[in-house]
Amino acid sequence: MRPLDPRLLRHARAARGYVALTAALGVVTAALVVAQALLLAHALGAAVSDGATLEVLAPTIGWLAAVVAVRALVTAVQERFAHRAATRTVAELREQVVAHAVALGPRWLATGEGPSVVTLATRGLDALEPYFVRYLPQLLLAATVTPGVLLVVLGLDWISAGILVVVLPLVPIFMVLVGRLTQGRSEQGLAAMQRLGAQVLDLLAGLPTLRAHGRERGPGARVRTLGDAHRQATMGTLRIAFLSGMVLELLTTLSVALVAVGIGLRLVEGHLDLVTGIAVLVLAPEVFLPLRQVGVQFHAAADGVAAAGRAFEVLETPVPAAGTRTAPDLRTATLRLEGVGVRTSGGSTPHGLDVVVRPGTVVALTGPSGVGKTTAVEVALGLLGPDEGRASIDGVDLVDVDPATLWAQVSWLPQRPVLEPGTVAELVGGDDGTRSAAAALTGLDGVVATLPDGWATPLGRGGAGLSLGQRQRVALTRTLLSRTPLVVLDEPTAHLDAAGEQVVLETVRALRDAGRTVLLVAHRPSLVALADEVVHVRSAAAVLA
Amino acid sequence: MTHGTLRRAVRLLDLDPRRFALALLLGTLALGCGVALAAVSAWLIARASQMPPVLQLSVATVAVRAFGIGRGVLRYLERLVSHDVALRGMTQLRTTLYERLAVARPETLLAVRRGDLLARVGADVDTVGDVVVRGLLPAGVAAVLGAGTVLAMCALWPPAGLALGACLVLAGVVAPAIAARAARSTEQRALQSRADMTATALGLLDDAGPLRVAGRAEAELAALRESDRRLAAAADAGAGPAAIAAGLGQLAVGIAMLAALLTGVPAVGAGLLSPVELAVVVLTPLAAFEATSLLPAAAIQVQRSRAAAVRVLALLDAPTDSPATDDAAAGRPPLVASDLACGWPGAPAVVTRLSLDLRPGRSVALVGPSGTGKTTALLTLAGLLPRQSGSLTLDGHDVGHLDRHAVAAAVVVGTEDAHVFGTTVLENLRVARGDLTATEATGILARVGLTDWLAGLPDGLDTVLGPDARTVSGGERRRLLVARALASSAPLLLVDEPAEHLDPDRADALVTDLLADPRGVVVVTHRLSPLAAADEVVLLDGGRVRARGSHATLVATVPDYRDAYERERAND
Repeated sequence: MRPLDPRLLRHARAARGYVALTAALGVVTAALVVAQALLLAHALGAAVSDGATLEVLAPTIGWLAAVVAVRALVTAVQERFAHRAATRTVAELREQVVAHAVALGPRWLATGEGPSVVTLATRGLDALEPYFVRYLPQLLLAATVTPGVLLVVLGLDWISAGILVVVLPLVPIFMVLVGRLTQGRSEQGLAAMQRLGAQVLDLLAGLPTLRAHGRERGPGARVRTLGDAHRQATMGTLRIAFLSGMVLELLTTLSVALVAVGIGLRLVEGHLDLVTGIAVLVLAPEVFLPLRQVGVQFHAAADGVAAAGRAFEVLETPVPAAGTRTAPDLRTATLRLEGVGVRTSGGSTPHGLDVVVRPGTVVALTGPSGVGKTTAVEVALGLLGPDEGRASIDGVDLVDVDPATLWAQVSWLPQRPVLEPGTVAELVGGDDGTRSAAAALTGLDGVVATLPDGWATPLGRGGAGLSLGQRQRVALTRTLLSRTPLVVLDEPTAHLDAAGEQVVLETVRALRDAGRTVLLVAHRPSLVALADEVVHVRSAAAVLA
Repeated sequence: MTHGTLRRAVRLLDLDPRRFALALLLGTLALGCGVALAAVSAWLIARASQMPPVLQLSVATVAVRAFGIGRGVLRYLERLVSHDVALRGMTQLRTTLYERLAVARPETLLAVRRGDLLARVGADVDTVGDVVVRGLLPAGVAAVLGAGTVLAMCALWPPAGLALGACLVLAGVVAPAIAARAARSTEQRALQSRADMTATALGLLDDAGPLRVAGRAEAELAALRESDRRLAAAADAGAGPAAIAAGLGQLAVGIAMLAALLTGVPAVGAGLLSPVELAVVVLTPLAAFEATSLLPAAAIQVQRSRAAAVRVLALLDAPTDSPATDDAAAGRPPLVASDLACGWPGAPAVVTRLSLDLRPGRSVALVGPSGTGKTTALLTLAGLLPRQSGSLTLDGHDVGHLDRHAVAAAVVVGTEDAHVFGTTVLENLRVARGDLTATEATGILARVGLTDWLAGLPDGLDTVLGPDARTVSGGERRRLLVARALASSAPLLLVDEPAEHLDPDRADALVTDLLADPRGVVVVTHRLSPLAAADEVVLLDGGRVRARGSHATLVATVPDYRDAYERERAND
């Protein structure tokens, strides 16, 4: 794990200012730690060895109080900005990741790393919060306080500094060593742990099913057995995982103890004065404190760094450049796919597809599921560049077309209707007259009649509050009311019963009567029968070498 | 959400008091070593500066080294013991949860979404258990160690001891309380924005293509920015108190040290305190605050655990099944429903006036438009949902008064969303009947058309399916669930949409086969073509039985039924 990824600073503006602030506060903290130790040593040393009175010590104690106050202030400021920087950075990265993923398109989102972007954007990046609030400040303190204090100790007493300098590099060395030795075992343990945990959850998830069969009582004992096995596997892993913590603690505490004993013995022989002794004693643990904290926060921070790393991978995936030519007018222009193939892991879906969509015609794409019908639609819409063949409008390759000018001419109803939040009337558009005419055709009028506020009923995101079939009717009505020359319907009869299917047929007829071009993905014969042209989509299995 | 919630949840962890005490002891000793190391080193240095014979220092030099080693070792042991205690508690809570849910009213489980159930028994139980290691134990250690250090300091010089006590309270009680309150109010303030953010981000990623084509992607990205901005504002509002809490913790250390100096120096002058003791009194507080530094995080953990406990207890407090009042050992056909009203508890009935007589050899098909409550009716007939009115009897005994096992012995329901366990194919079928043989299993899989699928599995019947059968396609999963229902020894079967995800020919073959089963069968289906094989077709519409009779009768007398049937045939 890279403790501080430079890409974080490049991609998140909020992180830059915060790291600078934290570094500055780290330097201030180092100075304050040293000042506090020296002032305390002077006051205490004078009181213990010379019996100095409060009056004599007043200025020193006054300064000490000031240092204490400023340290509290620095801590508060650090905390205040840590939370702010964490939220802002997470937000900045989230927006960039989502925007970039959207630009990469549906195919990228559906394959490989794509699906994990959802988890990354909604929850994963939140792991950066402990990284910013707890880990990063300690990391920068380790870079400021540790060397700063060590230098001061060196100036005060080189023998103590020697002990600390010898132990200091041992800390990372031992950590790495223990880590290496235990890695294999803990990975095994982790896998066993996750498997057992999943089995317990599986039993609980299946409880309704067990009940339906009247077999719910037996597995209670199994839940306990699995839980016990899970505990033993976990403890096996922890026994090893905690070793590194113990080594760290042993090294640091023991070296502080050795410094204390060394100072004591040299004091007895008069080789050292008490003020120096106290200063070194107070400073010795401060050398290790940030390092120990870095170790403590490491695991929480590692998740954040990993999440950020995945975000950078997404951001560094190149987006194909969009074209700049204005799309020809689809009221008169013909959309063509010629020999189009899109490669997938299993071969090519679709393969060698030729489609001609002439203005004012209804074209149906058919074929068994998984053959690449929806992919063909995505190619036709310019969302996806074909690996073979070409997609063009009146001879203009879609690769060169500015997608916005094409999309402005298209209404696309995907398999699952996408509805933004708003009232039913806002969603479907049109004026009162056209709206009720269209709704009568799609059966949306029946749905609206059952809604509490009729057309003014607000729907949540995705049309929450309506069933899938009802949402389909809202989307169909919207498509009818839109004025785009090209309408693309992807399996519009899915999720609909026979009566719903009738509605779709009527809608397609109405669209054709209005002179609009319709590209259909269909497998129900009734819908296919409606098309002027039917294209059977085929796929090809990968050619084995 | 009351304080009693967490206490109750912690009681349910059933922590072993001896193990917990051991963890507390080890934790206190570990941090105690740190405090003792500071105190003895201070004594050692101050005493050494008076240049006594070296022998007088030998005990202290050995003690300092011993404390240096003891701290690391004791802390390691404490972490092992405390994690063990917590894990035992989580297993206990999970087992209790399972056992309670097993006897809870069936609709409790059906009402909780699967993802939600997993979150509660998985992550939420973990969070409740975490309170041991990250909440209770640090608090206990800080309290014991703090009290011990204060007493020791009081023995040397009471004013310094009392000041230390006050500062420990400031760092260990006041600061954590402020931090926890800040965290809670931030969380509450951010709740809505976080939900908005998640929904917007999900929407953008799920529907990237359609949103771009419709030209709405930019507007949605702006909405995402807006909800993130509100999220940041909420975090900012909570950061102030968090900063004050952090500052207070730091301030308390300094005040304790200053108080010891200010009260100790005059005491040395007055002869109340020796100079060596002054060094101890001033330098020890620096180490005493290590235990309290963990407490703000502990307070936040307690809150998180409490929120999780609320969700876990909501499951535990689900009403349990009323005990059987009719002690018939096993239910027997016929299953007779008359004027049955079916619906979810607390919601209006979705199907009313349903009458049905089901006995071996008789097959009934339940059809009707989607959303008319066919599945609800099926669950009610199986005794998994309480009926809202009417009567439901098995061999004359009221189903509501029978033991759940007695009902399940007579009537079994195979729902669409039944669980496929992360175990072998055979064990998945054995859920229905424990003594099912491999030969019988192969036969049943053949009946539902899964022979080819079975042949393609690497280990045949012993192939382990992924959790909730992610490795199985939708159609295969459906048929596997139908096979499980068929494997049951119950004389009456209720099957929900067995033919979903199948092409028309296979769908019709499967439904026909089910209707011909010698047992009593109710099949919910949207395919009408195979229903000539049913003894009776019940057409539900608008929450009531619209027509019933043989397939031929319905085709002849119900125009809608005939239209739907003819459309289906024309489309195939």
